[in-house]
Amino acid sequence: MQNIIEITNLSKEFKVLNRHEGLKGSIRDLFSRDYRIVHAVENISMNIEQGEIVGYLGPNGAGKSTTIKMMTGVLEPTSGEITVNGNIPYKERSKNAQEIGVVFGQRSQLWWALPLIESFKILKDIYRISNQDYESIMKLYGSLVDIEPLLHKPVRQMSLGQRTLSDILAAFLHNPKVVFLDEPTIGLDVSMKSRIRTLIHALNKEKNTTVILTTHDMGDVDALCRRIVIIDKGKMLYDNDIEHLKGFFGSYRTLKISPEGDIKKQTSVLERELKNFGVSVSNDEEWISILVNEENANVIEVLNSIQKNHKIGDMKLEEISTEEVIRKIYEEGVE
Amino acid sequence: MKLKKYLTLTRAGIIESLQFRIATAVMVAGNLLYLIVVYYLWKAIYASAGTDIVNGMTFTDTMIYLVLATALFNFMEMYTVWEMGRNIQTGKIVLDLLKPMPYRSYLFWSFSGTFVTNFLFTFLPTFIVVGIVAGGQIPLGINLLYFVISVVMAIIINYSIDFIVGTICLFTESIWGINIMKQVIVLLLSGATIPIAFFPETLKTIVYYLPFQSIYNAPLSILLDGSPTAENLLTTLGVQLLWCIITIVLSKIFWKASLRQITVNGG
Repeated sequence: MQNIIEITNLSKEFKVLNRHEGLKGSIRDLFSRDYRIVHAVENISMNIEQGEIVGYLGPNGAGKSTTIKMMTGVLEPTSGEITVNGNIPYKERSKNAQEIGVVFGQRSQLWWALPLIESFKILKDIYRISNQDYESIMKLYGSLVDIEPLLHKPVRQMSLGQRTLSDILAAFLHNPKVVFLDEPTIGLDVSMKSRIRTLIHALNKEKNTTVILTTHDMGDVDALCRRIVIIDKGKMLYDNDIEHLKGFFGSYRTLKISPEGDIKKQTSVLERELKNFGVSVSNDEEWISILVNEENANVIEVLNSIQKNHKIGDMKLEEISTEEVIRKIYEEGVE
Repeated sequence: MKLKKYLTLTRAGIIESLQFRIATAVMVAGNLLYLIVVYYLWKAIYASAGTDIVNGMTFTDTMIYLVLATALFNFMEMYTVWEMGRNIQTGKIVLDLLKPMPYRSYLFWSFSGTFVTNFLFTFLPTFIVVGIVAGGQIPLGINLLYFVISVVMAIIINYSIDFIVGTICLFTESIWGINIMKQVIVLLLSGATIPIAFFPETLKTIVYYLPFQSIYNAPLSILLDGSPTAENLLTTLGVQLLWCIITIVLSKIFWKASLRQITVNGG
């Protein structure tokens, strides 16, 4: 397989003015040369193959958008190299633009006042899509989503879900090699989320388009990505298959019990009692969740120990979800 | 065909601006109000001057000039600075930068549709009305052709200046003050609010060395001069051409340098 994106030792630093408080401080800032360097991205390397869907994850402010902006050519790296489809993005932005598509969940590239079909026609001309290619992609769209009612609706009258769907279709229109999706499912309802996921999956399959997906919704990740890359504070924490992720912290399982009596009180009691096992205890309305690392402690032993002092109304055992692993990585980092 | 990808933006602009019929109507009404004010203001000026001709212009000359200047303003002003500023503030500029064409061209051609509709719906009617009311005072001949050439160059100069000012927004991230300042300077020094003939001599000289008079004064003086000497014509168009080149080059260089600055330091 051929690498479509190659990133080697990529770093990005920003010079940020140290701001001072208050009116006096603000005036002083006007003349200040007091800068500090922020390392938005530090020494990231990865190769992405044609046709992959890669989940690019990280907490807010981790440097995801900065990396995406460098890959699209809007930002110039401080050091390191990127090639996208053989182009150096920031040097050949217009040329690179022809080969990529972008969707930023919060903004739309569509023409606000015009019906969707007009936006498509404009994009067809801008990207110089041949009539034949245009017709075949429209046919494909027609088979994937119920596009007819959308086509003649002005974009400003669309719901957020319809708009996002349209934006994704617009990003794939010129058959780009890579599509960057920045939080495409943000703010959408459950059914729309699932429609969008199905669409992305189908387009990736059909066109063998590489998709770089940033999201905070682990549902997106589970549904779409085989490979995930996690960064935090500009540094790369993880780059591997999603299957490896679950075994990443050792084998974790969640023991859920529903005790009798006040759940909050019980939780804090259990937290104290189970200290030796090295587990973390949390609760919701119904269940007390006990996250057990099976390398340190056996679930059965933990259960035994609980049973000695508590009456358990109900219990269940769960494999750790992607969401919990990611949360652990964000909160505790990687050793 | 390469031009097609630009012309499609013109087409989109036309369709887009036709969606806002009420906005167009309000604009026409607003202008009418402005012109009434202008009419009475200058009537008072001429009345107090006591003579029929002030600075070589009769009252009718002045009115024709100012009405056409307003009409010209309405179709040339594309609020580039607003648009750029808004795009920078909302971050939409990132999406525009990722179109497979230079941002400067992308923005220009996106606006070009509005030119067409504004020309047809505001400038042309005003021109015809003024022509009829003024009873043949506007010469209709070969000067119309020169006028069109001159207007095209005026549009380019105006856009380039706007683009330079808009680029400044990349740094300041505020639009309002800068835009208002630009508008006042351009409208005053270009002769759009007061004919340049009325300026004091020193200011007149200064203004002739600035690019602004090429935006409104140049095309209007070509249009209103029925029998221009070849020398006059060539100087006016030549100066415009010169400013075209200078402002295009400047705006391109400034944009490129600023964008580099932004892409290096982030924005």
